[in-house]
Amino acid sequence: MHSEDEGGDEAEDEDDGEAEQFPEIDTRSDSEDENENENGSAADAEEDEDVEDDEDDEEEEDESEVDTEDDDLRIYPKPKTVISDITGQPKRVYPEIEADYDSDSSTEDTPNRVGNIPMHWYDDLPHVGYDVNGKKVLRPARGDELDKFLETVEDPSAWTSAFDKNTQRDKPLTEEELDLIRRLQENENPDSAYDPYEPTIEWFTGKGKEEVMPLSGAPEPKRRWVPSKWEKQKIMKIVRAIRQGRIIPNKPKTASTQPQFYNIWNDEPSNVAPPLPAPKPRLPTNAESYNPPEEYLPTEEERKQWEGTDKEDRERDFLPQKYGALRLVPAYDQFIQERFSRQLDLYLAPRVQRVKLQIDPNSLIPKLPSPSSLKPFPVYKSLHVSHDAHRVRALSVSPDGAWAVSGDENGNVGLWEVMVGKEVKRWKFPGKVGAVEWCPRTDVSFFVVAIEEHLHFIVPPNLPTPVLVATQALLAPATLPPAPATPSPVKWVSTAAAASSSDLPILTLSLPSSSGLPKQIVWHRKGDYLSTVSSGEGQGGVWIHQVSRRHSQAPFRKVKGSIQLVLFHPTKPHFFVATQRYVRMYNLAEQKLLKTLTPGIRWISCMDVHPSGDHLIVGGYDRKLCWFDLELSDKPYKILRYHTRALRAVHFHPTYPLFASSSDDGSIQVFHARVYNDLMTNPLIVPLKILRGHTVKEGLGVLQVRWCPRQPWLVSAGADGEVAVWCS
Amino acid sequence: MGRLKQKGKAGAAKAYVTRSAAVKKLQCSLADFRRLCILKGIFPREPRSRKKANKGSSAPTSFYYAKDIAYLAHEPVLKKLREHKAFAKKLSRALGRGEWSSAKSLEENKPVYHLDHIIKERYPTFIDAVRDIDDALCMIFLFASLPSDGRVSPALIDNCSRFASEWQLYVMHTRALRKVFLSIKGVYYQAEVMDQTVTWLVPYQFTQNIPPDVDVRVMLTFLELYQTLLGFVFFKLYADSGLVYPPPRDTVKDDSGAGVGAFSLQELASQPLAASKTTQVEVHGKRVSTKDVRNTIKSIATSSAEGDAGAESPAADSAVLEEDEEEFVPHPSTSNPDEAAALPTLRTLASLPQSGTSKLLAAYTFWLSRETSRPVFEFIVRSFGGRIGWPESSGSGSPFDESDDSITHVIIDRPLVEKPNETEEERERRRRRKYVQPQWVVDCLNAGKILLEEPYLQGKTLPPHLSPFGGLAGAYDPTAAPAGEDADMEAEEAEEDAAMEDGEDEDAEATRPEKAVLKAAAEAEDEAALRAAELAAEAAGVDYGTFEKSAKKSAKKTAKAPAQADDRAEQEMNKMMMSNKQRKLYERMKYGEKKRATEKQNLEHKKRAIEKEKRTRPKSQS
Repeated sequence: MHSEDEGGDEAEDEDDGEAEQFPEIDTRSDSEDENENENGSAADAEEDEDVEDDEDDEEEEDESEVDTEDDDLRIYPKPKTVISDITGQPKRVYPEIEADYDSDSSTEDTPNRVGNIPMHWYDDLPHVGYDVNGKKVLRPARGDELDKFLETVEDPSAWTSAFDKNTQRDKPLTEEELDLIRRLQENENPDSAYDPYEPTIEWFTGKGKEEVMPLSGAPEPKRRWVPSKWEKQKIMKIVRAIRQGRIIPNKPKTASTQPQFYNIWNDEPSNVAPPLPAPKPRLPTNAESYNPPEEYLPTEEERKQWEGTDKEDRERDFLPQKYGALRLVPAYDQFIQERFSRQLDLYLAPRVQRVKLQIDPNSLIPKLPSPSSLKPFPVYKSLHVSHDAHRVRALSVSPDGAWAVSGDENGNVGLWEVMVGKEVKRWKFPGKVGAVEWCPRTDVSFFVVAIEEHLHFIVPPNLPTPVLVATQALLAPATLPPAPATPSPVKWVSTAAAASSSDLPILTLSLPSSSGLPKQIVWHRKGDYLSTVSSGEGQGGVWIHQVSRRHSQAPFRKVKGSIQLVLFHPTKPHFFVATQRYVRMYNLAEQKLLKTLTPGIRWISCMDVHPSGDHLIVGGYDRKLCWFDLELSDKPYKILRYHTRALRAVHFHPTYPLFASSSDDGSIQVFHARVYNDLMTNPLIVPLKILRGHTVKEGLGVLQVRWCPRQPWLVSAGADGEVAVWCS
Repeated sequence: MGRLKQKGKAGAAKAYVTRSAAVKKLQCSLADFRRLCILKGIFPREPRSRKKANKGSSAPTSFYYAKDIAYLAHEPVLKKLREHKAFAKKLSRALGRGEWSSAKSLEENKPVYHLDHIIKERYPTFIDAVRDIDDALCMIFLFASLPSDGRVSPALIDNCSRFASEWQLYVMHTRALRKVFLSIKGVYYQAEVMDQTVTWLVPYQFTQNIPPDVDVRVMLTFLELYQTLLGFVFFKLYADSGLVYPPPRDTVKDDSGAGVGAFSLQELASQPLAASKTTQVEVHGKRVSTKDVRNTIKSIATSSAEGDAGAESPAADSAVLEEDEEEFVPHPSTSNPDEAAALPTLRTLASLPQSGTSKLLAAYTFWLSRETSRPVFEFIVRSFGGRIGWPESSGSGSPFDESDDSITHVIIDRPLVEKPNETEEERERRRRRKYVQPQWVVDCLNAGKILLEEPYLQGKTLPPHLSPFGGLAGAYDPTAAPAGEDADMEAEEAEEDAAMEDGEDEDAEATRPEKAVLKAAAEAEDEAALRAAELAAEAAGVDYGTFEKSAKKSAKKTAKAPAQADDRAEQEMNKMMMSNKQRKLYERMKYGEKKRATEKQNLEHKKRAIEKEKRTRPKSQS
């Protein structure tokens, strides 16, 4: 629009100070100005609307002046250049426009008088508007698409025509409009009369235009000719600084760039500790020589291995090489990298001061008394009894040490002599044998066999008569003790003493149903009480039975965790209960918890108490064995890990200072364990012997170990169906 | 009850800071922080527990001592770095605006930092500094051999090569060089300066380029520090030996490739004390040289006569010479005898040449053939008192030319070729001189005596070049003869081999019953078996002597074996009683021992195989 205005030459309209507009004097009337102005502003407002309206307007204007300037492609009337009478300068003069009817192009020639409205309002109607008389202007007939296309093909001026909304028909564009479009397309000034390369006119200094008079009559200020006081002060400051040597002008450059060396260590060293000196790199060995002995050269596989490993994993950063002469040695390609990595080590690697141990590693092994000085202990397998390859889980030795009884998973229970290994009798029970245990009393002789939900009390054959009588009197008394007030879920059923034989159990205890297989039977030292732990039934698994009163009771109503094992204290009325992780110690007389031991084992598998009652060993499936000193702490005194598989059984010898542990790796470890009465001396534990001989079957090794009470002999039962006796 | 302890207010949480926290505290960029760490020698620390030091986080970060960082905060260099940052901004603004004059004046007043105080701080005593110049020397020698490019300025390279020459001059002047090792990486030199061993590595003379995976900025920062350090160290070293530092350089000579020869050592005239010291050295040197002349004549005569008699004489003579010199004899104090012995005497501190080896090559004059590296051998020979000349193609400044009659050895590294058109004079000269390969010189001075030239003559296959630095105690020693046990083993192996060979053709006891019987005797374990074996032997017709011998041998072996086995089993069991910590330590130590043993065994095995092959090859060829 700017160019249009320029073409129209409106001084008031545009005040952007363009030089050519400045001196022009407007000769036209106000009304014309307004008209033009209106037109311009209207166009301005409608910039975002479709172009056709504008073009229409312009075209109309053009038509009014077409007759005057037909030769030029101008929208506006062409100005004449005349010499002004006043200034003597050439000026453009536009022709007068008469304010007649003809001059208003907007009223001309357009039949449709609806004005500037959206024409789609008439889309559904047969007319497109109204003429000046109020008559409908009918929509001109329009062909279909094919006609349109044919028109474009036939009519050569079709591509220079545009659709006129107002009349609803195509209208060819005029030359001026086309020219305008072309200029806009080419980013030129739309005004064809505009000359971008007009000569400069020097308005104030040009020839004959010099200004002689000053613009202002104000007198010259004093500061123009008096030297500045402040400047002087600033300069004096610098001068003084130079004089005092604070500023050195033209400082010599060489002094700062070239470092000056002097004896820096002349004066006393400061007492600040210097940083640790960096460790020196290792000195080269023979392997780095250019001509090493031949044995240093890598073999083919060593070379391959070296090349295969990552750079930082390599033991050496080079491969030894041999050159026949010094002149053949090439440049080392990793030289700069190695230097760089050394520097990275110097400033990026954390440094730790380590004390270098110069000791013989064997001195770390504790000095213990030699096992040969701690004899007797079992060293060899003297005999073995076979159980037809059924896993033997239960094993017990009679209190006099002459008999052993073992039970396997097939339900067979064998009674055999420890000395010769001869099986005397064999019983067959339905289902697995969970545990067997001899009664520790010596005046009577019987053992208990635990199978599914039942405990069978069996009297061995060939007993001397007084013992047999005492046993029968104990287990099947003629007069039964009075039944307890509250009925117990455990039933005691005994066969009559006269009818009893060693073939059948003399007494049978029926545990409550669904209690599962009793895993463990523990006798109290005096042989009156026994406790069983059953596998099933989470909390009611523990029972304490009293033989003399034929009475059973469950000591725990509610227990945290599943109970694995129980033990009677050998001297005190204490009771150990091992859950998966903890061992709890109860006082049965006072019925309270004494202490909780934490062995740190994931799953406890076995436990035994020292005959003195002050020490406890606990073994676990995670291969650990913990020794507790009950006087000392709730934490283990010693944790040993020497078996390669899970521990299965531990047992203290009742008289000798020995204990043994067996494991799934098929070995039995025998220890010397001396305990001192003196509280200050720690127990002495010396590993004595590893007994091997059982084979590992289906991941299970030695399942049970028991000591013979009077000899340093060991009886062991394995998953391979063998029961072995180890003698010293 | 005391005050409640808050977390993170004491202990490791306070003593350590992470790197990012340190950078934040110092308010500088990471690059500046790195630069500061390099210059000040501050390195990360490893806290006992990373979690405790890092507010419970176990993210991988590096930790610094908080005290170190607090100390860094007061560093003048840090201030200068900040000033430099401001300067860089101003300069770029001036350049952007096209204000050339202000840019120029800014450039002229660029902030420059000095590292003098850092050197003094990091090395409070001179000995500390000398102890730590290994890395500095390596870097200087490396950069002296690099080509200059956009990142490494020619002035820097020039400065480095100047430092390298100054160091070599000093070492040559004081005869401080002790050991040289030609490795595949370069040449290792070891010198003894101020009683400290200084080892540095010089690359072979090839043009190297800085690889792209190396951060040059880091190397240049180190170089900045090292240049300052070496400047001060050299100044003190030169001053202590009465020389002017820096030694003036003759640019004309330098341009013609004189190398070390372009520098001239000047005495400090003003200091009377230093002067007297240097004259003493001179006197000392002169005295030796007069005797050396005689020695030379004698050695030439003997070597031409027998060849091997004169091998050790010069070293022995100079050792005798050293004896008559006055020596400080430390009298051990009654209370602490070790202390007195360990005290450095005045003589050791003066770093004067002590042993006879430093004059090892004084009697000889060398000529370098043009394919040998001149800087290496000029430095080596001159530090051991020898004279050396070289052809013009190796650089200017040779003190004599090839036709000089005083030349005793020619260091040559070429295969032997026949020269048919030799003049009589040339042949005569060739006869008089020894043509040795370069390794001879290095091996001589590592051995501390003049070795026989015979194995090192031109065209010969060289004996292996061994490291003079030695290895760890108990490591494999290639010079040692196979030990007794090994020899036994070897013999046994040989026997076994023979037996194996025999075993191929023999089918069973049928063909050679004696052997089988003897074997049975050797394997017999108890009395009964032995008796049975004896009967069998008699039946087979083996005489009793041989039978008894083999039986006794086996008995000895078996007697030894179970005793050892018992002992070992006992120890194995005792290991159960070790605590976890002890066991781990024990296992680590055992692992290391085993690794070293395997390495040694591997080398010995290889050596035996090589020797065996050598023995069999001529047999098969003949």
